[in-house]
Amino acid sequence: MIIPVLFGVSVVIFFTLRVIPGDVAQTILGTSATEESLAALRNKFGLNMPLYEQYFTWMSGVLVGDFGVSMRTGAEILPEILSRFAITFELTILAAFISWIIAIPLGIIAGVKRNTKTDFSVRIISLLGVSVPNFALATILILVLSLSFNYSPPVGYVGFFEDPVKNLQILFLPAFVLGTGMAGAVMRMTRSSILEILRQDFIRTVRAKGVRERVVIFNHAFKNALIPILTIIGMQIGVLLGGTVIIEQIFSLPGLGQMVLTGINQRDFTVVQGAILFIAFVFVLINLLVDLLYSYLDPRISYK
Amino acid sequence: MESLLELKDVSIDFQSKRKSFNIIKNINLKIDRKMKYGIVGESGSGKSLTSLAVMNLLSDNLSIGQGEIILRTEEEKVLNHLSKKAMRDVRGEDIAMIFQEPMTALDPLYTIEYQIIEVLKYHRKMSKKEMREKAIAMLTSVGISRPEKIMDDYPHQLSGGMRQRVMIAMALITEPKLLIADEPTTALDVTIQAQILDLMNDLTEEHGTSILMITHDLGVILETCDRVAVMYAGQVVEESTVKNVFDNPQHPYTQGLLKSIKTLGDRSEKLYSIPGNVPTPDEYQELGCRFATRCPFAFDKCFSEEPPAFQVGADQTSKCWLHDEEANPNE
Repeated sequence: MIIPVLFGVSVVIFFTLRVIPGDVAQTILGTSATEESLAALRNKFGLNMPLYEQYFTWMSGVLVGDFGVSMRTGAEILPEILSRFAITFELTILAAFISWIIAIPLGIIAGVKRNTKTDFSVRIISLLGVSVPNFALATILILVLSLSFNYSPPVGYVGFFEDPVKNLQILFLPAFVLGTGMAGAVMRMTRSSILEILRQDFIRTVRAKGVRERVVIFNHAFKNALIPILTIIGMQIGVLLGGTVIIEQIFSLPGLGQMVLTGINQRDFTVVQGAILFIAFVFVLINLLVDLLYSYLDPRISYK
Repeated sequence: MESLLELKDVSIDFQSKRKSFNIIKNINLKIDRKMKYGIVGESGSGKSLTSLAVMNLLSDNLSIGQGEIILRTEEEKVLNHLSKKAMRDVRGEDIAMIFQEPMTALDPLYTIEYQIIEVLKYHRKMSKKEMREKAIAMLTSVGISRPEKIMDDYPHQLSGGMRQRVMIAMALITEPKLLIADEPTTALDVTIQAQILDLMNDLTEEHGTSILMITHDLGVILETCDRVAVMYAGQVVEESTVKNVFDNPQHPYTQGLLKSIKTLGDRSEKLYSIPGNVPTPDEYQELGCRFATRCPFAFDKCFSEEPPAFQVGADQTSKCWLHDEEANPNE
């Protein structure tokens, strides 16, 4: 599955980029450039070759781990992707963690206490989480915090291994914003799957055994509800790992999303196609991981 | 001798936001020790709800409106007034239950061993090894030939009959005083049905367990039970020994039920059926007999006043105005 998906992505991204009007030579040299110098630069990047030849040159590099160099800066692309991915990765993990802490307990409570005031409040919170756009929440938070607590968003980025405390300070707010956004969906899924599982016959069997209600909920209802919850969590993580352009912009984090955005603006084809292929790879990998988790959780699912 | 389980005037109400109505009305039952008691009725007659009420497992929108469910083991307990914790001690320990759908009655994510042992974990102080041994012994006694292998299997790896055997093993492992079996054979093949019924009979006899058998199948009642209550639209309409009810049914509904069984050698073209349908709870009439609309013998009083349970003969009750000499126009 992985190979054909990635192949498809590579083809689509490669040719879509070529269709975008404007080219890298023009953006580098400016509007006053002569035809000759533009042609020379295009020649240098191989842009005058037939498209399929360009594609094969690129792919043959990618297959051996050579993503090429940026057309703009001449820097190697893969190391750049990896260092930016590290930031995005940490941000995603933090955000996911925050969302689970909020969403799963609330979702379970809402499912168990269906149609009570608790349930309604949880549903309102989750609706807010889903419907308030991240950027709005981010700007509001920054505004409120800076106006009333003299908070100023940290400028620049410090790696986790350089200064863990500073690093977490920088990442907490963006992770919180992303996390609350994710929490809404996870909460709804948790609630509805808990509700559905609680209606199942085997829950009645477990109760008829005289098992404590807490065990009924956690060992039986929640474990069974986990499969649909995992699906949605996997999707969310996959999407976030692809970079979150807006949040990275607002909090000036040099993540993957920002890299793709600048790349597109500058028509830096090699950077964009490399980064997007990498993002697709990570997404597919996460899906694979989720599938493996399914079969670990549910004895009925096996991949052989 | 005092009975093991007694339902005294038990009613179950359904509440929704807009209205509430009475589903089960004034049920009176007495199940003695070692007795095999059957409740028979069509779907929607409230027989399953009655059994769930005994276990205190009614869903949130249902509640026991009035009456008492009394269990007499070493002490006397009123089940519908017990605390949640005290009720948990009754479930699985004093009363165990098996259900209709063996396919969905076991948690798909846990092994058979886990699910059997789970009962012991909450009711017995035993080591893991002891619990495992006991579970294997129990599986053997329900006729499973390779219990060690089954222990590590998941429910989806077993057939319906096997799962029902596992359910029985799980239910009887604590040697409960009462086993409630809610349509235990309905979802099984006919050949397996007989095996499962025999198994339940043998095991409960061995341990002196009483059975409350819930079924729509008169054959099952005839085969396994001593006494039977016939339920219609949330009420017990007739109650007696199985022999009395089958040989000498008193209530028009029971008579109709028995008439609609096709016996071997019966060559008549058409199968008898009681006209009309079982009313839904919102169609129950406030006054009168709930069966009156479908009853071939109904007369005025049947629509205006609810019949009490008349004592008919020494050991039989029937909830029908026909037994009232003053009211019955035919006499």
